[in-house]
Amino acid sequence: MVRTGVARAQGRRGEIIAGLSERMLTLDPANHYSISATSVLRHVYDPLLDVTNDDRLVPALAESWRPLNNTTWRFTLRKGASFHDGSPFTADSVVFTLKRVRDNSKLIKSFVYQDIDDVQKDGDYAVTVTTKRPFGSLPAHLTMLGMLPPSAGAGEDAFFQKPVGTGPFRFVSWTHGDRVELAANARYWKPGVPRVEKVTVRFIPELSTRAAALRAGEIHVIDRVWPDMVQTLKATPGVKVLDTPALEAQRWHFQLARETVKDPRVRKAVSLAINRDVIIKDLLLGYARPVVSPIPPGLIGHTNLGQKPYDPEKARRLLKEAGQSNLTLDFVLMKDLYPKQLEIAQAVASMLSEVGVKVNIRNLEIATAREQRTAGNYDLFYSGWAHMPHDPDWYFGQWFTKAGAEKLTRFSDPRVEQLIAEGRVPDPRVRQQKYAEIERILWDEEPEIWPYYSVAIYAISDKLSNFEARRDYYVLLHEVGIA
Amino acid sequence: MRSYLLRRLGQAALTLAGVSLLVFVILRVIPGDPAKMLLPEGAPQSAVDALNRELGLREPIWVQYGIFLRSVIRGDFGQSFQYRAPALRVVAERAPATIQLALVAMLLTVLVGVSIGVLAAVRRGTGYDYAGTVLAVLGQSLPNFWLGIMLILLFGVTLRWLPTSGFQGWSYLVLPSVTLAAFPTALVARLTRSSLLEILGQEYIRTGRAKGLGEPAVIWGHALRNAMIPLLTVIGLQIGTLLGGAVITESIFAWPGMGKLVVDAIFFRDFPVVQTVLIISATIFVVINLLIDVLYTVLDPRIRYG
Repeated sequence: MVRTGVARAQGRRGEIIAGLSERMLTLDPANHYSISATSVLRHVYDPLLDVTNDDRLVPALAESWRPLNNTTWRFTLRKGASFHDGSPFTADSVVFTLKRVRDNSKLIKSFVYQDIDDVQKDGDYAVTVTTKRPFGSLPAHLTMLGMLPPSAGAGEDAFFQKPVGTGPFRFVSWTHGDRVELAANARYWKPGVPRVEKVTVRFIPELSTRAAALRAGEIHVIDRVWPDMVQTLKATPGVKVLDTPALEAQRWHFQLARETVKDPRVRKAVSLAINRDVIIKDLLLGYARPVVSPIPPGLIGHTNLGQKPYDPEKARRLLKEAGQSNLTLDFVLMKDLYPKQLEIAQAVASMLSEVGVKVNIRNLEIATAREQRTAGNYDLFYSGWAHMPHDPDWYFGQWFTKAGAEKLTRFSDPRVEQLIAEGRVPDPRVRQQKYAEIERILWDEEPEIWPYYSVAIYAISDKLSNFEARRDYYVLLHEVGIA
Repeated sequence: MRSYLLRRLGQAALTLAGVSLLVFVILRVIPGDPAKMLLPEGAPQSAVDALNRELGLREPIWVQYGIFLRSVIRGDFGQSFQYRAPALRVVAERAPATIQLALVAMLLTVLVGVSIGVLAAVRRGTGYDYAGTVLAVLGQSLPNFWLGIMLILLFGVTLRWLPTSGFQGWSYLVLPSVTLAAFPTALVARLTRSSLLEILGQEYIRTGRAKGLGEPAVIWGHALRNAMIPLLTVIGLQIGTLLGGAVITESIFAWPGMGKLVVDAIFFRDFPVVQTVLIISATIFVVINLLIDVLYTVLDPRIRYG
């Protein structure tokens, strides 16, 4: 009775049940690159920094951070935060978490943190991170890395059976393939958070089932709604549909070592022959945005370069100039990965046939498609890029450096490589300028087709208050209330 | 009988060894790279290579198989690549959901399927027979996917009598087990009908009736017992199939069973989990087949194994 009284006094009550599309595979924040796991684990663990929906980095367990020079970051830590087992959060936690992810090469995130040279604590509430080369995107990466108590190192397998973090919710249980249950952390450092007593996350991969559970009132929020489901959901009493431009650009990359598409005129012709408006309006029912730069708006470096024109006449001319009158392109898709992808690919095939290019669609199971890409057996590869973390460095670094693209697109351009390296510094003005320059080069060379920016669609119960439709596809519930 | 059982058990061990080798080799021959599936798209090749080494996939395939066999004998099926936990534990966590669903679906299949089949055979040419035929055709031709969604929309969303998905108690079993049972029920109903009709034409049935046996005794005691032999074979195969996990039904109902687990494991090239599930399913199949063969002798004393 007393407990309820306290909870009421803080305005904390009720339970929210979310239905996520992607099943979570681990409770270890360093061992995944899953959007679903990032969402769920954000409730249990706090990272050093959070990222807002308008792409600002804000304090979480770090109160402030600044670069001391190009290869040194200093973080000042929050005092008074504690783990769910009562132990205090201090610099030791940061040192442990960062060294663990760097040194344990079995962890999925390990390769990202290889540039860290050393992590030193300066008293209990400050940490200095030195890096082997400039690591300007470190704060963005840290938004995705929950802080662990140093005691986790004593027996990791046992720790991750029942983990503790400093987050707004305590971990209660995880039934593999079914659900995760979390209970409010009454001693959370942020006043008024969380606003509910309990959060349950159910994993429901099938969209029709997710939508049915929401419409039946069993759950309160679902992610990854497809455009053609929106009308049904909107027509359901008590259900609201929210959408927002996602931090995701669709990008179909060319295999640049192939004789056919090596010629920039051919790539330009393909781009000119695609009517992006038709894809956005007719196939995605308006749930997509025209692309104006390889990097979606909101990320550092985004520069509006104007939309790509649709000009089949010019496309035909360019193909003729390039001597490609009888061109056939292999267009590889990863089966069932993106909404409407097969319909879109078929539309593109018919658009390209208008300018005399034959498209051979190969809709392959995901692992097979990726293997074909490594082997270079494709001309055009259907893919998207959700920017996780909120920083373009990773996208540029993996796809537009020689080492990164070697087994992917075979892209190689010393100018771009140089700019990417220069853009790694912490100074945001330098980064903005370098990235703008990279974007101009890419926009002109067209090593990829950028057909549209995705739109993230969620549906929620109208009982929820303060739910934010996130651009990064996260479903975050610690500041959400329920009537 | 004893020497027969021993021989069958020996054959079973050979079968399982063959299955394990086949699964092991096929998984490693098909295209697809486990480390690449675990790491984000665009991770550097050096990270891919390092992770594959960690997972033990850089060894020659026969070395890998040797290590695998030695651990399996000790009861260790390896570490799941995706879950980073023992594969056997990952699979065992999913087994109860699959077993419950399979048993309930099987119970439905036998009760409903045999009843419809008997009714149709006994009342041949009447409305019961035609209704049974229509049901059987529907059951065999409606895709699981469509049937599941329709049941969810009707009983979950519109009427709100039953939960739409998930696995929290008995009420959650109703829709998935009906969906899953639809096809085998139809199969069993048709088979019961035809097999019973054939037997009802036999002379010993006429003898039974002639010596004044009541109709229930003729149908249930004599005819159905003999009609059971082909039915038992089919039911045995269906139990094996259902226990291996029902992929589509599990997907639609967000059912945390082995079927969805193994399909995801195949997509993500989580070799240890695929191997574990397939070896367990193969074991179940072999054991059930053996049991069915033994049951034949109970049903029909003329059948003897020496």
